[in-house]
Amino acid sequence: MTFTISAPPHRKEAITFKKMTWAKVIALMPVVLLSVYLFGLPAIGLVIASILAAVVTEVAIQKAFNQKITIDDGSTILIGLMVAMIIPPEAPLWIPMIGSVFAIGIGKHAFGGIGSYVFNPVLAAWVFLSLAWWSIMSPLSYPQTTALSDLILETGAGHIAGVSPLALLIPGCILILLRYVEWRIPVSFFLTTILLAVLVGDSLSYVVLGVVLFGILFLATDTSSSPVTKNGRVIYGIVCGVLVVVYGHFANYVDAIFYGLFLANCVSSLIDNNTLPESYGTETFLQRKYKRILSKVPFKDRLEVLLND
Amino acid sequence: MTKVNIMKKMPEKVIIPLKQHDGTACDPLVKKGDMVCEGQKIGECGVYNSASVHSSVSGEVISIEEAPHPNGNKVNSVIIQLSEEPECVDFNPKDVQDSELADFIKDAGIVEHYGFPTHMVLKPEGKKIDVVLVNATSSEWIGGHYDTPSQYSSQMLDALKLLMRASGASKGAIVLRNDDLESINAFDGLNYDGKPITVAPLVGKRKINYYFKDMSSDIVVVSQEHIYGKKILDLFTYNVTGRKVSFGCVPTDVGVAICSVKSAKALYDAVNAGKPYIETVVSVSGKVNNPQKILVKIGTTFKDVIEECGGYIGEPGKLIANGSITGVAQYTDEVPVSKTTTSIYVQSADEVVRGESVDCTHCARCVDVCPVNLIPSRIAAMSDQGRFDECRQMHIMNCVECGRCAAVCPSKIHVLQLIKYAKNSIEKAYEDLAPKESPANLKLGCGCSGGE
Ligand code: SF4
Ligand code: SF4
Repeated sequence: MTFTISAPPHRKEAITFKKMTWAKVIALMPVVLLSVYLFGLPAIGLVIASILAAVVTEVAIQKAFNQKITIDDGSTILIGLMVAMIIPPEAPLWIPMIGSVFAIGIGKHAFGGIGSYVFNPVLAAWVFLSLAWWSIMSPLSYPQTTALSDLILETGAGHIAGVSPLALLIPGCILILLRYVEWRIPVSFFLTTILLAVLVGDSLSYVVLGVVLFGILFLATDTSSSPVTKNGRVIYGIVCGVLVVVYGHFANYVDAIFYGLFLANCVSSLIDNNTLPESYGTETFLQRKYKRILSKVPFKDRLEVLLND
Repeated sequence: MTKVNIMKKMPEKVIIPLKQHDGTACDPLVKKGDMVCEGQKIGECGVYNSASVHSSVSGEVISIEEAPHPNGNKVNSVIIQLSEEPECVDFNPKDVQDSELADFIKDAGIVEHYGFPTHMVLKPEGKKIDVVLVNATSSEWIGGHYDTPSQYSSQMLDALKLLMRASGASKGAIVLRNDDLESINAFDGLNYDGKPITVAPLVGKRKINYYFKDMSSDIVVVSQEHIYGKKILDLFTYNVTGRKVSFGCVPTDVGVAICSVKSAKALYDAVNAGKPYIETVVSVSGKVNNPQKILVKIGTTFKDVIEECGGYIGEPGKLIANGSITGVAQYTDEVPVSKTTTSIYVQSADEVVRGESVDCTHCARCVDVCPVNLIPSRIAAMSDQGRFDECRQMHIMNCVECGRCAAVCPSKIHVLQLIKYAKNSIEKAYEDLAPKESPANLKLGCGCSGGE
């Protein structure tokens, strides 16, 4: 009888990186299908061109550097898809292709590939395209933001990502419930945005756009460009929210979500380094101060009983 | 109440390792061809950090040789062929003085399941123990041993008293798991020494000191969350007593002795029945026909135990001693149950984990599951690059080696191995640094001052 010998743990959860990325791709499908219904064929063209360009770039780079081809893990396709989703449907087909080539080539691989990049490749591509071809990158129409009924279907305006907030929200929440996407960033991001928007007096229907939800659920939760510490993730969500409202209040929330997130990416490792958890049992700053004050109090014998607990 | 079955079929031969703990191996007291009887001492060692070994069966010593040990190494072992007529040394209750209890424990061969001889935990050289804890959080209730739950709980309390007497500690506590309702019910409301026992939860700042005062009693029963892992002792000490064990120290440095339910019971049996530590309860699970908890003689091979449980289902792929997350995979089933074996787990060939690691994506799942608030992904990356100092700054020594980080990682990174690697390297570095017999009044590596 032969037994396998290997180091512990001998049992692992079945979840893999591949599953997680494919789940995200699937979660985005409802929105893509809806956008095809609303925008017609250009939307399909956009998506296909973008994904193709992404895949070709990935294969070319990995071949050139003798790396293992990792198309099947889904991350390239996810990036290609997301790039297409943030480009106006009227754009010519070479725009998403350049976007994807930039996202994969520069955004992802130039920084060292999965897990090492600092900026979310999708956002990097958006910034690049917007700076180069601003006129093409502005959607012909921004979503109608008068009625709250737009929460369900923002008919035929903006980007693919913005056609239906509800079709993003539901799959997004399912991903969170399945623990495929972690909850701290989206929750704190969402709450901060709503709270601040109300404080500065922006109408909610103006804030809760499809693109904003897309940013909160799919862009901000990109794992490589967000912090890993527990507190860090909450802070990151708050920072994102603040930046988005600051931009959104003075311009529009569609561009704000991309810029805000891009800037938040810059500080994510800073947040990480400053929120490293202490060793268990270490007193916090306030506890130390409290003890010091108490140690100066006369008659502390009487307080001892309280302190000892 | 999970029933504990007693192994019915006697094995043909047993393999009794002469070293079943961390410390010095015993010298054999028997030689090839000798007849031994059940309970006879067959291995002993004069030094303090060793516990005696007894024969668990009666029969003939067929050889003394290096044999596989469940920790993965080979250890000098006594191999005994069982005789037809079982013979047994007379087990008589002993009346032991407090001062002799530690030696008595050493003599009865009682060791903790994490590998420390119990007498060294209770009476460490040069340290003073003031609290004894019985950790009932990791081992499931061994209540199947007893007729009634109250028999279990009062026996545990008696055993705790014995442990306190042995160590000279004035206070003691039994720590239960707060989701283990069976045990909690067994203790709650029990009248012991004329005092009703209440199980108190350890929450926030309420550690056992609070309850010692609150209940004006020297013995309390408390409950806490389930933590598991290979090196939980430091965290356990902190959770229960609020005393922090610093790097390079062990709980006994802060005056805390931690014993398991198994060793408490073994001590009780040794004093009240005169029986040395020769049998233990093992839980068998996984791909066997009849998974169960079973009382076996120490030295029985895994093969015999599994046969008693109905044999393998299909072709086994992996045989694991002591838990599916942190246990050791065995290369043969001709390996004996030792005093530190708590469970046997069998995996079929297609359950065996085979996964290639890909890059860490910072998904932070490992951060969310770590019970001691570490950042496993970052520590693993540092360890991979050999930056052990930075690992230390990230409190790597707190890691209890529970393996959860590696189990949840979607990228299948060998987080636990990398962490262990760094920990070992750090420990080695400190061993070399600390002078054995320091001429100066200087102490390196140890920051503990015997508790606050
Ligand atoms: S680092 Fe991993 S093995 Fe260590 S305590 Fe945390 S989760 Fe457990
Ligand atoms: S769970 Fe794995 S992939 Fe995720 S952060 Fe931890 S080590 Fe990295």
